[in-house]
Amino acid sequence: MGIAFMGAGLGLGLAVIGAGLGIGKLAAGAAEAIGRQPSAAAQITGAVNLPLFLLEGVAILAEVFALLIVLMNKAG
Amino acid sequence: MLQPEIQHAVQTAPEKFNPSETIIGHVANSGHDHPLIHLPTWMGIDFSVTKHVLMLWLVAAFLFVAITWLVRRYVRQDADRLVPSGTMNALEAIVEFVRDSIALPNVGKKWVRTWTPLLLTFFVFILASNVIGLIPIFDVLALLQHTVLHLPEDAFLVRVIHGGTTATGNYNVTAALATITFFVVIIAGSKAHGFVKHWLNLAPGGLAWPLYIILIPIEIMGMFVRPFALTMRLAANMTGGHLALLAILSFVFIFAELFGHAAAGVGVGLVLSVPLSVGISALEIIVVLVQAYVFTLLTAVFIGMAIHAHH
Repeated sequence: MGIAFMGAGLGLGLAVIGAGLGIGKLAAGAAEAIGRQPSAAAQITGAVNLPLFLLEGVAILAEVFALLIVLMNKAG
Repeated sequence: MLQPEIQHAVQTAPEKFNPSETIIGHVANSGHDHPLIHLPTWMGIDFSVTKHVLMLWLVAAFLFVAITWLVRRYVRQDADRLVPSGTMNALEAIVEFVRDSIALPNVGKKWVRTWTPLLLTFFVFILASNVIGLIPIFDVLALLQHTVLHLPEDAFLVRVIHGGTTATGNYNVTAALATITFFVVIIAGSKAHGFVKHWLNLAPGGLAWPLYIILIPIEIMGMFVRPFALTMRLAANMTGGHLALLAILSFVFIFAELFGHAAAGVGVGLVLSVPLSVGISALEIIVVLVQAYVFTLLTAVFIGMAIHAHH
C-alpha cells in the first residue's frame, strides 16, 4: 500500500519534469522569436498558446491520475 | 447506524484533524444522502439539488439577470446615440474579444456569426462559475453561523454553508460542457460540408488502403479524446487550485497537533501558510481567466478543424 503512494508521488514528479521541460522550450522559442522579430509578437504568442494549453492538459491529466491512485488506495 | 458505544466513543474522543478528509469534503460535491433540497427520483435519476447544482443555478440565474438587464437598459436608449457606458463597455469588450480573437481566426469569416454566440456562452458561463468559486461567500456564512447566528442543524442555510465550491470543478459539469462541444463539432462539419462529407473528411483521401486500417481507428479515438481532455483540463484545474490552497492552510492544524500547542500552528500560519495561500489565490485569478479562455479557444479550434478540413 505504501508503494502505491510512492508511485503516485513519483509519477507526479515525472509529469512535472516533462511539463516543465516542455513549457521551458516553448517559452524559450517564443522569447527568441519575439527578440528577432518584435513586430510579430502577437502572432507568435498566438502560435505558442495552443500547444501550451495542450501540454498543460497532459500534465493535468497525469496529476488527476496520481490523485486517483491515492484516493483508490485510501478506499480499498 | 453506529453501535451506541461506538457512537459515544466517537463523540467523546478528542477530535483529531484529518487533512485529507477535510480537503475532500470541501472540494467534493455533497453526497446523495445529504442533498440541499430533496427532489423525487424520476426515471431512475435522482433530481435532488446538491451544492454544485445550486452553484450552477446561481451562476446561470446571475448571468441571465445581469446580462439581460444590461442589454435591455442599453437598447432602451435613444436610437440615434447608442453609446455604451459603464458595465456595458465591459460586456462589449468581452463580446468583441471572443468574436475577434477566438472565433474569427479559427472558425473563419463565413461562420463567425453562426458560432460566436455559442463560444460566448461557453466563455461567460465558465468564467462566471470559476470566479464565483473563488469567492468564499459560503465560508463567511459558516463563520457567521459559528459566531453569531447559531441556526439549528437542519436549517437550509446551515446545509448550504459547506457548499460554495466551484461548479466547474465537478467532472460531471465539465463533461456536460464537453459533450456540447462534441456534438457541436459534428454539427459544424455537417453544416459546412453535409452530413456524409463531414465523416469522410475525418480521414485524408487518396492513400494506400492499408493505411486506413490504422488511420480510421485513430481518428475515431481522437474524436472522443478531445472532449475528454477538455473535461479533465477544466475540472482538474479548478479542483487543483482549491486542493493546493486547502492543503497549505491545513499546515496550521497539522503543526498545532504535531507540537501539541496552538502557538506552533499560528506561527506556521503566519510565516508560511497565509502568505503562500495569498500567492496561490493570486495565481488562481489568472488560472480562472486562462481556463475559460482555453475551453472556448479549443472549442473554436475543433469547430474550425471540422469546417476547414483540407483533405
